[in-house]
Amino acid sequence: MNFYKTAQLLLLLLLGMSCSLVAQRVSVTGKVLDQNSGEPLAGTTILVRGTSEATLTDANGAFKIDVAEDAVLVASFIGFETHEVALAGRSSLTISLKENVNMLSELIVTGALGIRRSSKELGASAQVVGGDNLNQGKVINPLTGLSGKVSGLRINMYDSKVDPEIQISLRGMRSLSRSNGIDGRNPNAPIYVVDGVPIPSISRLNPNDIESITVLKGANAAALYGSEGVNGALMITTKSGQKGKGRVTISNTTTFSQVYLLPQAQTRFGQGINGVYSPAEYVSWGPEFDGTMKDFGGVLPDGSQPQMLFAAPTTDNRLGMFQTGLNQQNDVSFSGGDENGTYFLSSQYVKIKGIIPGDESDRINLRFNGTRRFGKLNTSYTVNYAHFSKSMTPDGPWITSYQLPANIDFSQFKDWRNPLSIGNPLNYFTAISGVRNPFFLAENFRQNAQQQVLNGKIELDYSFTPWLKAIYRVGLYSLSEETRNTTGKFAATGTRNVNGAVTDGTNSYRRLNSDFIVTATKDFGKFNTRLLLGQNLRTDDKKSTSIGSSNLLYPDLFNPDSRTGELSGSVALTQYRAAAAYGEFTAGYDNFLYLTFTGRNDWVSVLSPENRSYFYPGVSASFIASEALDFLNKSNTISFAKLYASWNKTGNVTLTPYQLNNAYSQANGFPFGNIIGFYPSLTNPNPSIKPEFVTSFETGFQLGLLNNRLNIDGAYVFSESNGQIFNANVSRATGYNTAYINAGTMTNDVVELGISGDVIHRSKLKWNLGFNFTYINNQVKELYDGATSRQNFRQSYAIIGRQYPTLIVTDYERDPQGRVVIDAATGNPLVAAAADTVGTLVPPYQMGISSSFKWKGLSLGLQFDWRMGGWMYSETIPRMYTAGTHPATVAYDRQPFIYPNSVIKTEDGTYEPNTSVYSAGDRAYWQRQGAVQSNTMAPSNFFKLRELNLSYNLPKALLGGQRFVREASIGFVATNLFIIRHKDNDQGDPEYLYNNTDGYSSFRQVPPYRTYGFNLNVSF
Amino acid sequence: MNQFVKIFLSVLFLTTLVSCDEFLDVNQNPNSPGSATLPLSSKLSAALVATVNLETGTINQVGAFWGGYWGTNNDGINQFLDLKTFNGPEIRHQRDGILIWENTFNAMLYYKLIQQEAELKDARFYAGVSKIMLGWHFLRLVDIYNGVPFDDALTNTLSPAYEDGKTVYEKAMALISAGISDLKNTPAGSEAGADDVVFKGNTLSWIKFANTIKLRALIRQSEVSSQSSYIASQIQLIQQEGSGFLGKGESALIQPGYLETSGKLNPFWENYYRNLQGVSTSNREMIRPTVYLIDQYKLRNDPRLANLYTTVDGEYKGVLFGNPETLPNFERIATSAFKGPLENDGKPAAIFKRYNQPSVLMGSYESLFLQAEAVQRGWLPGSAKGLYEQAIQDSFAYMEVPASAFAAYNAQATVNFDQAVDKIERIIGQKWLALNSISSIEAWNDYRRTGFPDFPNSLNAPTPTSRPLRFMYPESERMTNNEQTNRMGSDETLKDPVWWDQ
Repeated sequence: MNFYKTAQLLLLLLLGMSCSLVAQRVSVTGKVLDQNSGEPLAGTTILVRGTSEATLTDANGAFKIDVAEDAVLVASFIGFETHEVALAGRSSLTISLKENVNMLSELIVTGALGIRRSSKELGASAQVVGGDNLNQGKVINPLTGLSGKVSGLRINMYDSKVDPEIQISLRGMRSLSRSNGIDGRNPNAPIYVVDGVPIPSISRLNPNDIESITVLKGANAAALYGSEGVNGALMITTKSGQKGKGRVTISNTTTFSQVYLLPQAQTRFGQGINGVYSPAEYVSWGPEFDGTMKDFGGVLPDGSQPQMLFAAPTTDNRLGMFQTGLNQQNDVSFSGGDENGTYFLSSQYVKIKGIIPGDESDRINLRFNGTRRFGKLNTSYTVNYAHFSKSMTPDGPWITSYQLPANIDFSQFKDWRNPLSIGNPLNYFTAISGVRNPFFLAENFRQNAQQQVLNGKIELDYSFTPWLKAIYRVGLYSLSEETRNTTGKFAATGTRNVNGAVTDGTNSYRRLNSDFIVTATKDFGKFNTRLLLGQNLRTDDKKSTSIGSSNLLYPDLFNPDSRTGELSGSVALTQYRAAAAYGEFTAGYDNFLYLTFTGRNDWVSVLSPENRSYFYPGVSASFIASEALDFLNKSNTISFAKLYASWNKTGNVTLTPYQLNNAYSQANGFPFGNIIGFYPSLTNPNPSIKPEFVTSFETGFQLGLLNNRLNIDGAYVFSESNGQIFNANVSRATGYNTAYINAGTMTNDVVELGISGDVIHRSKLKWNLGFNFTYINNQVKELYDGATSRQNFRQSYAIIGRQYPTLIVTDYERDPQGRVVIDAATGNPLVAAAADTVGTLVPPYQMGISSSFKWKGLSLGLQFDWRMGGWMYSETIPRMYTAGTHPATVAYDRQPFIYPNSVIKTEDGTYEPNTSVYSAGDRAYWQRQGAVQSNTMAPSNFFKLRELNLSYNLPKALLGGQRFVREASIGFVATNLFIIRHKDNDQGDPEYLYNNTDGYSSFRQVPPYRTYGFNLNVSF
Repeated sequence: MNQFVKIFLSVLFLTTLVSCDEFLDVNQNPNSPGSATLPLSSKLSAALVATVNLETGTINQVGAFWGGYWGTNNDGINQFLDLKTFNGPEIRHQRDGILIWENTFNAMLYYKLIQQEAELKDARFYAGVSKIMLGWHFLRLVDIYNGVPFDDALTNTLSPAYEDGKTVYEKAMALISAGISDLKNTPAGSEAGADDVVFKGNTLSWIKFANTIKLRALIRQSEVSSQSSYIASQIQLIQQEGSGFLGKGESALIQPGYLETSGKLNPFWENYYRNLQGVSTSNREMIRPTVYLIDQYKLRNDPRLANLYTTVDGEYKGVLFGNPETLPNFERIATSAFKGPLENDGKPAAIFKRYNQPSVLMGSYESLFLQAEAVQRGWLPGSAKGLYEQAIQDSFAYMEVPASAFAAYNAQATVNFDQAVDKIERIIGQKWLALNSISSIEAWNDYRRTGFPDFPNSLNAPTPTSRPLRFMYPESERMTNNEQTNRMGSDETLKDPVWWDQ
């Protein structure tokens, strides 16, 4: 009955609207001014509300439009608040627009579950990064755009391949575990929520689709997400259309990437052994470069002997392995809307040509966001489709190139298919060395993948009454991937032989997430209250199939069918289910005091039935001093002041499915016909594993000073995680390699500070400086099995009383004065029996500095990033010692030498200065030094200019003459323009971490690059 | 309050979800079977193959370089550097090192799980075999690392306590004895079948094999004077048991049914000879016999030499172990490589016969040489000479040398047992020639014990006289069980011998 009436009403309304179309029309003239300066605002959009009629102001801020006499005009201009004016019969009017300033008191954040709420009531910290700021460096992966911009957030891009990977951590480590969950998310990564729907990854999202990202820092802010939000949340809001005239934006960004920061290499000694030249060798243990022509490699099949100039190179020949990469982004978007609905349609095409020849990737993004209102029912939907494909070579080419002698010109290796080329695998390479031609590797070993990501949501939002509302939101994230890895057959003997191989794989992953939320709000006098109850269901289904052969018959035919031997293949199915019920109660008093209680119960499928349900609560409070206290309210200096505190506990399960029992599988050639042979997994399972719990306390403040020109915020957080689920490395004498346990206790003390202020604020000249600082003191308090230290990965450890992870390295035996002890018999420095504990592998201090400078149409944005206090170690360095390319190996001219400031241990246990025992200084000696890990570590401090964006908005005057182009800008963008590193770091970019480790760089990584290029934007 | 909220939330949850348990019960692994699904037979075959892969792979390779058999030609000059330079820290390295500790304990876990299940099910045969093989591995570990965990090993103790080498040796002996007793009490018909890829369920063969393992362990202690009474008592135990040792023609070979397909060939063949497509492997291209080894065969006009290696211009050409210089006479094509059927007119050669040749866990010739030494030392009754000659004959048979060649060979002064001045040296010398590239680790063990044969040191050794005595404790152990490794004191490769090396 009610519904019927509502429909009738709607119909009447629609009729009424259409009636208004026939109302009398008048011609209106007007002017738009900046409220602050009184200057005219050229290019302001004047829209007639409820229609698609619109115009722009001219250079003098003037406009003219024909409208119905009762029309309402909407004036909007970027950087200013939109203003609506009812015509009310006037035919001439002046509209003053108020500039947008960051009014902390008005700030709206996207809270947990995608519910937008005033930041005032939040008892935890949240920081909003707008789309423009995010896209300052014209990033391809949105996560890279956040780096350095948010306190507490650390983002590392750690690869230079055409699909760079990202490590992300918010407010330090809570989990000792390093293995990813079923959704591929690292246990220390925050949850990504796009338009209210949690999804496993946002790296395939078009950054230009993002309106803003609210970073909910830590479990307190993300309490309603429970386990998934234990590390905080990145709430991504994608763009939606605005009421009014449709808008079309086109942009192109073209940047170039260039490799930099290769590890330093010596350029004095060339190929050979023991100082003797050897044409067949690849290691640089030969004689000193002498500028002569020398035989290089063996005799070619045509009988000729290739030669090479044996001279120190003038440029770094290793750069010959790389090319200038090219990154292109093309974007088109359409948006618009009317009273009842909006739409946003965008597409992006990204193409990357890598710095390794032959590597490339491309990505196509399509997004359609829409909303539609049907009376009390608001509907919204988003569909995002991404197609990503890549073709790249595995790690090989770079592994070779830093081991080759400095005089070798790489260009001669490119023609490896030619039997007469020195680069042909039958000639110079591989025989002695086992190193392969990098170009052969790059072309012959390929990894190809095609990914399709489809994600979207449907949201129904129904208001039963003004105080009672229900939301049902269901989101899908579907990833399907086809992979093909190929190795071209190259038939030869021994190490030169390369078996042809192909592996075809398909992976599909589907995640469904649904939330049903009921909210009720009620005001009692000065009290306003809100109760939220909700329920969440999540299902993850994954299937991976692979099939292949490593014995292909033909070099160019990659099908497992053309093979000898057996087909190899495997199938893995994985399912994960989780359910949750949650509630939140917020009470506000007189707009200055807020109190919020939260509670959540999770049920997860990966634990045994008796452990799989767990509950945890939270409480938070926020106090707006500037509203509550009279003297602050009247203050001219303080515009806004808020204090807040919160406490909560969050349960978390980082286990992947099927870890409660030991799974057996066939290996070592089994089955041999009818003889089967099953091996247990070498991970010791633990059926009684329980959820881990993180307890977190946070307090902080937000201050808006000088009419919000200066904003300061700070937070202190203490969190303690207990009983972490951890796949621990255990003594191999247990038989197992690792064991699942609930391990010890770890705490984080976090201090965050953010300052942002307008240094200059005039109508034509603006300069804003932002600064954020983070200090994270992470400490391991307790480990399992009574241990004081446990290995995490290679040289990285968890040690009680130290930061996690901490670097432990082998070092020389030293006397009490720290002098190196030399073995009098061999001349080798002695290696200490006990390893040396160095320091944390994660930088505890981080600072981001941003500067935004605007003068008329010109703007310059800079983002600096500074990190201090951590350590790194490199596995490239030992191999360079072995190959004789490391600079240290020439420090004593490859001659025997007396180790400086060294001592000899005498028989009575005292130390006397070494004046007579020579260290060999030859290959075996230096190889030993490369294995001493203290030689391969360095402080990971750095300061870099991460992003630079110089752009110029074409003056309105240039555009004023026509109505077609609304805005146009050109710009120069660059990343990593300069970096300052610690003087001991000649290894590379400290940000480049291998494969989600901490402070560890591998020879497998492609070295870092910088990019620079141009950007063009036009909107119609 | 919490309780109230919890109840409320649960109710809300339950009203919206009809069958919560059904929704969550998806944690059964659909991809791999669990232990309960699998019979013991499917586990024993796997464990035995893991053992022999380790024995004929990594362990044999270490022994072959450190026991005087192998070097590399110029092509391999940068390969096996850790072994050529006796670089202990490099060898213990978790990533680039030689992971004998890690792989051995993994293999032992397989047996331990079989033992536990077998004892639960009273499957005596499986319990017995797994105890014997655990004993085998413990002894190996001590030979390489000295003290290792025994009582705490393979339990739920995450940081197992180490015990000294001698204790582990004695406990391993007792474990093997317990295994023998299980086998003796195995009801007929309950033995393993084809899954026993060594003896096809023959308990007597297993007991003989177990006794031989014990004999080997006792021989190892020959130079430890304080052990003589222990040795005597153990010998007595073996004699009381009465089954004896592996005799002539009784080798412990593992044959799971190798197939002519990649990953299923005999792994020794696939690693050191040729791959599925017949391509000579990089090991075969780089590994060469040492000059000393060639000389020893030549000295005795040994017919096995022709079946072992190819010739260069009619000559057998060896290399110098650890030679850091690329000299023309050590080029790949200037030196003798392993011989297989492809270089032998399609006939099986000495150690490379067929892609599906069984893997050697312990050759009958090794058992016979051990017995010969025990007799020579007066531990066992019998004829040392007879056993010595049988051993050579069995080695000839294994290396495809006609039996008729033996008489002339044995008549030589360099071979004949009676003409030997030092009988032990002669036994070890012939054992060395017989175990070449098959059970090479015994060559290093015998060298450390007796100094025989006196093969030259690596040219890349830290000093001319330093020889490798042991492996250092692995980095993985230093990282996870540091207190225990520290407690064991210095573990330098060149300085700190294992307990029986005195």
